[in-house]
Amino acid sequence: MKVEVSLFGAFRDYEPGAAVTLEVPAGARVADLRSALAAHGRAHWPGFREGLLMRSAFASPTCVLGEQEPLPASGPVVVLPPVGGG
Amino acid sequence: MSDFRCMIVDAEHSRIDPAAALEFVADPAFGGFAMFVGRVREQNQGRAVVGVSYDVFEQLALAGFDDIVRRAQEQFGPRLKIHLAHARGRLGVGDVAVVVAVGTPHRDEAFRACRQVIEAVKHRSPIWKQEHYQDGSSEWSEGCSLCETQARDDQPESRHDGHAHG
Repeated sequence: MKVEVSLFGAFRDYEPGAAVTLEVPAGARVADLRSALAAHGRAHWPGFREGLLMRSAFASPTCVLGEQEPLPASGPVVVLPPVGGG
Repeated sequence: MSDFRCMIVDAEHSRIDPAAALEFVADPAFGGFAMFVGRVREQNQGRAVVGVSYDVFEQLALAGFDDIVRRAQEQFGPRLKIHLAHARGRLGVGDVAVVVAVGTPHRDEAFRACRQVIEAVKHRSPIWKQEHYQDGSSEWSEGCSLCETQARDDQPESRHDGHAHG
């Protein structure tokens, strides 16, 4: 299935449109999407810092998702690099 | 009227107003007020800063703000008013980036609730800061991983040793 991933913070520097669409297996979990995004980053993003992705969380528009949670059936998934407001 | 007001303020169109925040939490029954105001400073880690851009995942941030203030009410209420505002977009040195204002009957709850709210905003809200330097370069600030803090979300006073936040 295709998953639209919205990018924030430092990930915006990799993708001017701030979003990528990735293919993951049906029934995929957050961990699978993390692996797919890492592969995409290695292939397409010069200077990609995989360590940043490993410290990033994934979320739906309403909550942060656990690593073993199934991906939402619809809607975008958001990758959240380490936060630092204020 | 609600006892809480949480907002993201787009710097392109508006500015955070600390006086309005204090006015919102005013109440004849309250004698204690505390406010935290975060402004963009001109230097960070030895580098001259000319501005900061805040990126915000607004929908999740506002849901998180709501959770943060309700936790504060559970802990320090029920008589409590909170105003929480954070900027989005490009700010210059001295501009207000965040305001937390709290009104309560007595000062102790006001101080403690204000501290708890601003720490939670800094550590848990999906907000990112990109500093712009005098030499023309820019960098995203290091922050708190939500992977690492997620398990501690149920602990209102969870500590984040090792992080150096402004």
